[in-house]
Amino acid sequence: MNINFLNKLLINKLARVTLLSIVMITFTSLLFAETISGQTITDTRVSIKLENASLKTALLQVEQKSGFIFVYNERLLNPYGNFTLNKEKITVADLLNLLLKKTDLTYQVHDNKVLIIQKEKPKPVVQKPVVAIPVSGKVTDDKGLALPGVTVKVKGGSAAVVTDADGNYKLTVNEADATLVFSFVGFKTQEVSLAGKQELNVQLAVSSGQLDAVVVVGYGTQKKTSLTSAVSQVSGNTLVQRPVSNVQQSLQGLAPGVTVLDRGGSPGRSSATIRVRGITTFNINNSSTGGYDLSKNDALVIVDGIEQKLTDINPDDIDNVSILKDAASTAIYGSRATNGVILITTKRAKENKLSINYNYYYASQNAINKPQMMGLKAYMRLEQVAYTNAGAALPARFTDESINTWVNATDREKYPLPNTWFQTMLHSAPQQNHSLSIAGGDDKIKARLSARYLDQDGIVVNFKDQIKEVKLNTDYTAAKILKFSGDLNYRTNYSTVPTVDPFNNFYHGSLWAVPKYPDGTYGLSTQGNNPLMFAEKGGLSSQYDDNLIANLKAELEILPGLKLSTQYGARVEYIQQKNFTNSYSNTDKNTNITKTVANNSLTEVRNNLREYTWNNLLTYDKTIGKSAFRGLVGYSEIYDTQSYLTAYRERFYNNDVESIGQGANDGTKSNSGYDANFGLRSYFGRVNYAYDNKYLFEANGRYDGSSKFTGDKRYGFFPSFSGGWRVSQEEFWDGLKNTVNDLKLRGSWGKTGNQSVDLYSYYSALALTTYTFGGTSAAGYRQSTLANTNLGWESTTQLDLGFDATFLNNRLSVTADYYRKVTNDILLNLGIPATVGLNAPPQNAGSVENKGFEFSVGYHGGESGFRYNINANLTINQNKVLDLKGTGPYITGSDIDPRYIVKVGLPVNTLWGYKTDGLFQTQAEVNSYPTYAANSKPGDVKYVDLNGDKKIDANDMTAIGNPFPKYTFGLSSDFAYKNFDLNFLFQGAAKVDTRLSGALAEMGNQEGFTSSVYTNNYWTPDNTGARFPRPIKFDLRNVATSDRLIINGSYVRLKNIQLGYSLPKETVSKLHLSRIRFYISATNLLTFSKLNEWKLDPEVESGRATYYPQTSLYTAGINVQF
Amino acid sequence: MKHTTYKYLFALILAGGLSSCRKNLLDSLPNDRVSANIFWKTENDALLADNALYTDLDGVSIFTWDALSDIAHTNQNFDTQAFIELGTYDIANAKIYNEWSAAYTGIQATNYFLENIDKVSSTNTTLINRFKGEAKVLRAYQYIKLAGFFGDVPLITKTLTIAEGQQVTRTPVSQVWDFVDKELSDAAALLPATYGAADKGRVTSGAAWALKARADLWARRYQLVVDAANQVKGYTLYSSYQNLFKYAAENNSEVILDKQFLKDTYSNGVFALLAPYSQKNAQSYYVPTKSLVDAYETADGKNINDAGSGFDPYHPYDNRDPRLRFSVFVDGDALPSGIAFKPAPNSGTADAIGSTYIASTTGYNIKKYINTEDYANPSNSGINIILLRYAEVLLTLAEAKIELNQIDQSVYDAINTVRNGRSDVKLPNIATGLTQEQLRQIVRHERTVELAFEGLHLFDIRRWKTAETVMTGPVYGITYSDATNKLVTVQVVSFNRVFDKSRHYLWPIPQKETNLNPNLKQNPNW
Repeated sequence: MNINFLNKLLINKLARVTLLSIVMITFTSLLFAETISGQTITDTRVSIKLENASLKTALLQVEQKSGFIFVYNERLLNPYGNFTLNKEKITVADLLNLLLKKTDLTYQVHDNKVLIIQKEKPKPVVQKPVVAIPVSGKVTDDKGLALPGVTVKVKGGSAAVVTDADGNYKLTVNEADATLVFSFVGFKTQEVSLAGKQELNVQLAVSSGQLDAVVVVGYGTQKKTSLTSAVSQVSGNTLVQRPVSNVQQSLQGLAPGVTVLDRGGSPGRSSATIRVRGITTFNINNSSTGGYDLSKNDALVIVDGIEQKLTDINPDDIDNVSILKDAASTAIYGSRATNGVILITTKRAKENKLSINYNYYYASQNAINKPQMMGLKAYMRLEQVAYTNAGAALPARFTDESINTWVNATDREKYPLPNTWFQTMLHSAPQQNHSLSIAGGDDKIKARLSARYLDQDGIVVNFKDQIKEVKLNTDYTAAKILKFSGDLNYRTNYSTVPTVDPFNNFYHGSLWAVPKYPDGTYGLSTQGNNPLMFAEKGGLSSQYDDNLIANLKAELEILPGLKLSTQYGARVEYIQQKNFTNSYSNTDKNTNITKTVANNSLTEVRNNLREYTWNNLLTYDKTIGKSAFRGLVGYSEIYDTQSYLTAYRERFYNNDVESIGQGANDGTKSNSGYDANFGLRSYFGRVNYAYDNKYLFEANGRYDGSSKFTGDKRYGFFPSFSGGWRVSQEEFWDGLKNTVNDLKLRGSWGKTGNQSVDLYSYYSALALTTYTFGGTSAAGYRQSTLANTNLGWESTTQLDLGFDATFLNNRLSVTADYYRKVTNDILLNLGIPATVGLNAPPQNAGSVENKGFEFSVGYHGGESGFRYNINANLTINQNKVLDLKGTGPYITGSDIDPRYIVKVGLPVNTLWGYKTDGLFQTQAEVNSYPTYAANSKPGDVKYVDLNGDKKIDANDMTAIGNPFPKYTFGLSSDFAYKNFDLNFLFQGAAKVDTRLSGALAEMGNQEGFTSSVYTNNYWTPDNTGARFPRPIKFDLRNVATSDRLIINGSYVRLKNIQLGYSLPKETVSKLHLSRIRFYISATNLLTFSKLNEWKLDPEVESGRATYYPQTSLYTAGINVQF
Repeated sequence: MKHTTYKYLFALILAGGLSSCRKNLLDSLPNDRVSANIFWKTENDALLADNALYTDLDGVSIFTWDALSDIAHTNQNFDTQAFIELGTYDIANAKIYNEWSAAYTGIQATNYFLENIDKVSSTNTTLINRFKGEAKVLRAYQYIKLAGFFGDVPLITKTLTIAEGQQVTRTPVSQVWDFVDKELSDAAALLPATYGAADKGRVTSGAAWALKARADLWARRYQLVVDAANQVKGYTLYSSYQNLFKYAAENNSEVILDKQFLKDTYSNGVFALLAPYSQKNAQSYYVPTKSLVDAYETADGKNINDAGSGFDPYHPYDNRDPRLRFSVFVDGDALPSGIAFKPAPNSGTADAIGSTYIASTTGYNIKKYINTEDYANPSNSGINIILLRYAEVLLTLAEAKIELNQIDQSVYDAINTVRNGRSDVKLPNIATGLTQEQLRQIVRHERTVELAFEGLHLFDIRRWKTAETVMTGPVYGITYSDATNKLVTVQVVSFNRVFDKSRHYLWPIPQKETNLNPNLKQNPNW
């Protein structure tokens, strides 16, 4: 490439960025150019945040933000420092009073200059000889650290003092039982009666931030009080209370509007899903037994400004999680925001002081549930009945004589029990985690370095996971107006699973097999199965998942209040998988059944992903009189490229030589792969306006262009508007202010999009196929999927109405929201008539509505010794398909597996099947009613002929259950007493259904696990009141998908409980440490659910439950701070 | 001054970001597929597109059809197609939808091909015409199936948009037959009679005529059958019935149309699908029934129930039509692994009935296409699956002439050739001077045993309207001697076939399809 060309390119690009900057600046200038002269320090408000700042630094900040010029002699300021405060919209006058309170300084104002001068020496005051009781004491924070600057007042009086640098105060009162009021910014005000004491030490609790809290929102932060949208926050501290290996699971139950479905999953490959305010879209073409594919409902996850996946993020690195729920908060993420946005901010070094944190825990994992097979005799009797009902001869095993032998046998190698897999294969497994962080720096450079090592064994052999991670977050202040930060995160996750998944065989096709003989050989079922053998000998699938995330950011303050920042992030993920299937042969020495895997084979997978994000933001902040403006414009680019490669070979020398080059070099070797890339270009902006901190308004907009669409569908615009009214700031509220301390009403409306559509869906392409003629391979090309050039954005319109209120001195806070979310033009692989002859392309069709309520209530109470927090949340979500463009309904599944339907008027993926009306009790009853199968008999299920056409067929099916919970709730609580702390979380869901299938439903009619639930509870002429129908061997008439197989999946569980103890301060300081805390905890300790009866987890997905089971953890851990 | 420096510094950073910015960010195009816009230029494009059409021919799916007839059985009762056998199926049945949609996938591919082939610049009209002929035959192949399954079906001869797909209506089946008949005649004129070695497996003119004979037989247009069958020239019966389905016999003189396979690169799993369970856990998915096994004559051409047939129930497989043991694994047969097939429930082997739900429930397994070569890798078979062979043409010709009552020597010759025209099948000639009805029964019997498991019997029992008789009641399997030497006949557990003649002769139009296109009216009584 020649240099001139390069130059031109650079100049072109520079010209473009300049243009962009000009546009941005002009835009903001237009909005905020006006300045009002003649301000005074009493009507100019500034927001200020100080951490251990010197007085000079503080004044510099005030100068910058207020526009006043401070004039002083630096030497005068030097003695004063240690200012830590966080004030929003405080008048300059108040702020100066606060800053200078403890100093010998005062100020004078001349025009827009503020002169800082020394106070005149106070004149000695002659004490009046009245009753004066001296009182003294010390004020500390919840960690026992001294709190300077706390205002101590006598209730009802005017005397007030401020605590000194050691938190000590002294004052005099007139009455022995006077009440003292302690107040301090950022802490909860406390009133304590002296009750005759002359020394009173008080511990102030941090105000968990109702009024001063800052909420992370898209591309910025906002004060909670001025927030006009629906955002839930979860702090990092809360997340680490539950020692689970992934963040999805730990979010469960903590925030309203967030439904986490934890459906087990092996270590390192867990399968918890997060849904924010319900399901908005679905993918029709997927005909898996799990219903329609809902993976496109995953929320957008942004970590420090860069899109990432939620799994594997170190919970100890998380400072805060914000969940943006309504359109007002999410629209700024435009086309990716429909399913909500989860913003994660990681911890950064805050103070100049060096702090070192070390956390360690050891946990023991156990399967929560172990499904129980029927007792031996009961099961064999059931089989007798089943064969007899089928009119078949009894196989030798089930004759009376054989049952007798079997039951009385003691040699369980010769006479094995039918199914013991849950008892023999699920064992407790250790999990441990080390996490270390070092943070510190000076005014110029700050850094936080963290490292983690997680080691998790599986509760079944050969399942394992190891995460190693390093993260470095650095901040550089080049100058007051120019700051940089550079972050680097490397994480590697190594996990193994057996290549042959054993879980299906826990239930299916593996009866009567001895798990393992003492000589190391395995027993086999008649089908040749033994899940233990598969797990141990089948081969190992190992996966390295390497993630590297680099993030550079620069921020320039062009003018006071006007900031330009640019961020460049790169995320690289490299997945390397080796799936080796062993060759082996095993003969059951009792039965001579042989299982042979003749050829070993290896499939190697390489999956490479690179994603680059470039974010540019221009923000402006200005307060003029009572009006506060904030504005933001931004430009962003995302470019993503992925390549996938897989290779296969077989017949390796032995099972240890597992390198792809060593397999048979013949026609069996093969490889395959694909490439993909996409881009997203976005322009976005936001305006906030607040008048007198009472009337709040916000507008957002994003204009997104995606390579997934073409032509005039390429770009989409996503606006949102929201407003709030802080009723409690009104004068008329003054009378109520003591009851309702704060009340804000808010409402929002906006549109967001979804671009989750397969790449190149608009592109008409021919795919390579293979055929063969005369023994020679012949290539061919053909269409397989219809292209849809008309494809456009899926858009969601959402209305949200809510309020935030606090009561009882801000101890009780209540937030409630109502929302209605309508998703239109859903990107569906809508079933198309098969006569078209091609796979369906995604189309914009259909509408889904989610509406509901969210409530959260928090209370923090207690006095100095005993403190507690209680938080409760409840989400009610109602999902409904509004429109399918006149097509559908769409049904998946079969008689023997769950059927799901997507149909107008019903929730997405509603369980579909027959209604039943108990069991037929008499032959007369059978004869007088249509039956599902010919030759029905008493004891068979009576399916309801819903349409009355005297036939039981697909036309009689109806909605029989809802697989997505309508209600989800959580109740968490923290208690602290002296050095002890205790927290727990209850969490649950209601109005949710599960449809069992496979062995769980077939009650021994096939050759599978038979739950103990069926014991003596199936219909026989002597047991006509039984809950279950008569068993009939190899007959499916009684297990067709029906409401009889639907189980109420509602549950409440004690998700987590943790008890901690911190060593006393004195002991700790003797060790030259600042804190040591020990804790023990348990997760999933108690569950109340109808599925307990089946020994299944309540979160089991409809179907066969053949997955890595959910686990409970018992943990012991330690936190050490240096 | 200093501030200005910072601003320059910042501008530099921005510029750095910009230099990585992509002008064509949103114009990413795939490089892992071929755009339809650049295709259809050269003869080779036409060839590549033509090759792809063959993938829509049926392969091992033909075995599923006979398993819906009396001669075979779907071994696993929870398979959706077992519900068809049981008669409990409904409009939501997946098997029915899959057949419908697979056929239309093939039809779309040929329609797309025929719409675009003329864009190719070529002066070789013979070649282009040949391509067109191949496509027309492959399209007709799909319509023959559809008409057999559903009766009236939408006759679609061009590519459809989604909107058009939601509008189409069913064409009366007679018009579908008209179309198939004409297309095959047209195609026959465009196609060569044979191909060179590299193109073995492509559609020949003979295949067009033979398919036309099949179609006209199903349409009961018997004179057209006779005309078409007489055009099928250059084919002879392969000398060995036993070897007909083996690798060595691929592309032999009897094969008129087949789906070609190649181990490793384009393989089928016929061994894993059909072989007995003891053969590396092969699946016995579709298994023969007693009804078929009993249909094979004794070696001297008698029905086993005839007096003096010499049939010995204790040795039921001795002295029988040799095609029985060439088509069905029976007790005592050597299996590819070398062991003997022992299906009796009391045999104690992996193949014993009831040992697992995978083992054959009738005690018989299909032997056609089960080759010892495939034992090493049961799911990687390269054996070609024959879709139409000369024996069918002979029997089709005979049947048509019988139905036309044009009974002449050619009828006897056709039937007798099948009965004893090979070195290893030497059944006596049929008696002479038979009535039309007698000959009708004979030719039906001959089709049943000669073409067992070749995907024709389901259509035959529908044409003959015998399904209502043969498709009712339990499914039976082997007869074996129990411990007391008493003969016991196996009955498949919990399996009672029901056939409702008011509606089961035609499958329903799938629910998915009628939901999407209300113009598709349902078959009677569904």
